[in-house]
Amino acid sequence: MLVIVIGAGDVGRHIATTLSAERHDVTIVDQDEERVEALRNDVDALVVAGNGASPKLLADLGAANADLVCGVTQSDEANIIAALAGHQIGAKQTVARVRDADYFGGDESFSRQVLGIDFVVHPERATADDLAEAILLPGAVHVEHFADGRVSVAETILTARSPLVGQQLGARRMVRPNFIFGLIRDGKAVAAESFHMPKQGDHVLVAAAREHIGEVVGHIAGRTPTARDVIVFGAGRIGLPLGRRLEGKDGVRVTVMERDPERARYAAERMKRNSVVLEEGVDKDVLLAHGVDRVRAFVACAGDDRANLLAAMHAKQLGADLCLAVVSREEFTPLVDALGIDAAFSPRLVTAEAILRSVRGGNVHGMYLLLGGAEVLEVHAEPGCRAEGRSVGDASKYAHTRIAALVRAGQVIIPRGQEKVQRGDRLVLFNAIRGVADVGSTFGAK
Amino acid sequence: VRRRRRSLGLGSAINWPIVVPVVAGTLAAVGLGMAVCALCAVVAGDGATAAFAVPAAVVLPVAAVGLASTRRLRSIPFRARDGFLAVTLAWVAAALVGAVPFLMHGSLERPVDAYFESMSGFTTTGATLLGRLEAEPHAILLWRSITQWLGGVGIVVLVVAVAPATGMATQRMFFAELSGVTQDRLTHRIADTAKILWGVYLAFTAAGFVAFMAAGMGPFDAINHILTTIATGGFSTRTASIAAFDSLAIELVTIVFMVIGGVNFALYWRALRGADSLRPQLPELRAYLVILVVATAIVTLTLIASETSIGAGDALRDSAFTVVSITTSTGFITADFEEWDNFAQLLMLMLMFVGGCAGSTAGGMKVIRVLLLGRAAAQEIERQVRPTTVQVLRVGGRVFSEDVRKGVLAFFSIYMLIVAVGTVAMAGIGLDGTTAVSSVIASLNIIGPGLGEVGATENYTAIPREGLVFLSALMLAGRLEVFTVLVLLTPAFWRRSVA
Repeated sequence: MLVIVIGAGDVGRHIATTLSAERHDVTIVDQDEERVEALRNDVDALVVAGNGASPKLLADLGAANADLVCGVTQSDEANIIAALAGHQIGAKQTVARVRDADYFGGDESFSRQVLGIDFVVHPERATADDLAEAILLPGAVHVEHFADGRVSVAETILTARSPLVGQQLGARRMVRPNFIFGLIRDGKAVAAESFHMPKQGDHVLVAAAREHIGEVVGHIAGRTPTARDVIVFGAGRIGLPLGRRLEGKDGVRVTVMERDPERARYAAERMKRNSVVLEEGVDKDVLLAHGVDRVRAFVACAGDDRANLLAAMHAKQLGADLCLAVVSREEFTPLVDALGIDAAFSPRLVTAEAILRSVRGGNVHGMYLLLGGAEVLEVHAEPGCRAEGRSVGDASKYAHTRIAALVRAGQVIIPRGQEKVQRGDRLVLFNAIRGVADVGSTFGAK
Repeated sequence: VRRRRRSLGLGSAINWPIVVPVVAGTLAAVGLGMAVCALCAVVAGDGATAAFAVPAAVVLPVAAVGLASTRRLRSIPFRARDGFLAVTLAWVAAALVGAVPFLMHGSLERPVDAYFESMSGFTTTGATLLGRLEAEPHAILLWRSITQWLGGVGIVVLVVAVAPATGMATQRMFFAELSGVTQDRLTHRIADTAKILWGVYLAFTAAGFVAFMAAGMGPFDAINHILTTIATGGFSTRTASIAAFDSLAIELVTIVFMVIGGVNFALYWRALRGADSLRPQLPELRAYLVILVVATAIVTLTLIASETSIGAGDALRDSAFTVVSITTSTGFITADFEEWDNFAQLLMLMLMFVGGCAGSTAGGMKVIRVLLLGRAAAQEIERQVRPTTVQVLRVGGRVFSEDVRKGVLAFFSIYMLIVAVGTVAMAGIGLDGTTAVSSVIASLNIIGPGLGEVGATENYTAIPREGLVFLSALMLAGRLEVFTVLVLLTPAFWRRSVA
């Protein structure tokens, strides 16, 4: 497969690295000579210096035969032009990262029809959606849906309240242990085994039918406080859509904090209620004045990673129940755990996730990348595949993966080892280490 | 270049090339109305022909000359202030010319009285000095109705709709006359918006005529009453107002068309274009209807509970009519609300301030302002508790700018100041308290009937001459929503400046 990636920033580099590791032919274009030079040594790909939005350059790079052209530069306009040009020249699929809501009109089909771009990724909007999901499911820090929303995968953090802490997974009777398919400790992900003994601070991954996920998470997390208030720090491209999504949902009361007066007014005018407050900085007094010690969640999503980490850490220390931070730059992710922040959300990961999902296409129908380097995938067991008729345990071994859930004829099954894989099953897989699983040859048609 | 600009009037306070066509256009409309009345007088043969034919014969050529003299001016330098002056002058000119028939026919003897009657007509107030309407010739009655009808949606709006556009100037004047807190424009060209408003107005006038006929009115009464009902004016052909007909059907038709007149006229046109464009105006419409229904219910219960108790059916009939008539600033009467208890009377006084929707023919402060005031007040209180919250003025999901907040608060304080100062002034010329306060409120809110000596069954003959001049000014200020008139009273307006 030939892929042309325009823009060698964090996202572009991430996509190029992943796809190159999966043995695709990758061309990556960037205008910055230095960045291009640095990348040449890092990635096994054709690295080109130039303007990726130039139709001439795209044609020269063989866009006519490309399977995918994706625009992921800093500029929305450049991304859109690159995708449009790629489409015109004859690329099979085009993807553009677009951050400004003015360009997509809130509707996916709009960009497809009017711009002719196959797939538009809105990193901030998607991140806001992820954050809202996590907040609306008490106990979870991250929720993702698979199989047309039938299966939900949730990531929760064990607190002292959790009944799981200090017991072997196999010993639990109250919670069926096979809901739990993965554990993340100190940033390292492993597939859950019955001998694992979770401790406080571990991230636990569970899968269940969507209607049961709340109950399952509730069991695992222990009793969670039922506070209704949420503080959103920063009314930017993530904070504003997040505030609007949370507003009025599930009795949630939102307070959005913003330090820029103009932005604060802009945001306030777009909310249903007057829930935006203008606060210069986040110190202890300000946070306490807004009741940070009694909130269900504190979300730091200002433009600056450092400010987010600091605010979330502050809030955690003051007693906020769930503290989430948006962290764009990879080098900060190790800090998240160290500062006691419950979870970090990265627009960059969300973007890469969305684009990689569309590239892998074919057999992979859904994907959720975890910060620790693990991934959750949705694949379909195709007729005549190697796993057909085999037990879930065997299939997992062939593919070096873990089958967390499967959907058969609309029914969600949380499988035990003996369960047989049948053709047409939709499987939710967990890979502790990204890229090593042998998904294609196990579940794809021969 | 500089010399040419000065010659066009930019240095002076009055920008004649802007003012003349508007005033001339207004006079043309007034003149045509008089010509219609002259025809009516000829048909009726009651001796009022000259009272209309003579002023019409003078005004129409003058208007034609005025229009022709400015026709060739394509681009006229225009300042923000010019619209205010042009509109105010147009209204004063209309009222002055409109007073002539009352004097010439002898219905009213003093020029002040005639001017008051004429201004009360054009501003759709409905306060009258004529003691016995049945004694007046048909032409005079029709003229009163026509003044109200012309003033309803607006004479300047009519001029803008009909006259060739004069660019920027027309827009400013259009919004200087039309009521509301925001500029609501329906089309690319302002002249088309004006045409739409008058088109809707004409359509309802025609429908109302048919409805009144069907309800049992004669053609002359029907035409007069629909002209004054849809304009929410309140002039009647009978001294006893609508009560003279003593017909439930007529009262119902009147109620319906008063309510229609109190709704934003742009809303009807939007309704034809689909529900989506309606949404911003729905909160005001909803509040308007809720106010009418709730006030009717309260008054009905009060009437039933009062000592001189009447039947529940009559109580509902009287209260519904009176509440609608007062709230929409029409001023038709079926029941003497001065016989009601104090609570109901004071409630009427409060409803006078509410008025109809912005962009309607009704007076008062307008429902949207009342909503915004309530919201702004609540937010100001909340701000004491949560000072860092960013307050957004919002009504039913529609966001209003901070300029609107300032404008509404300023409007309210000026309005109340006028009421306070006006009441003292009226008391100063020898009126009792009730009459003084209610005459000011009824004039500023362009209602007509008030309490005391200007009450439901009385007229304004008890007011001294200087009082009538003052109340005429209040009517004009109320009709043009205060600012348009008040800016003319500031020294800055008359200072020579380029701005």
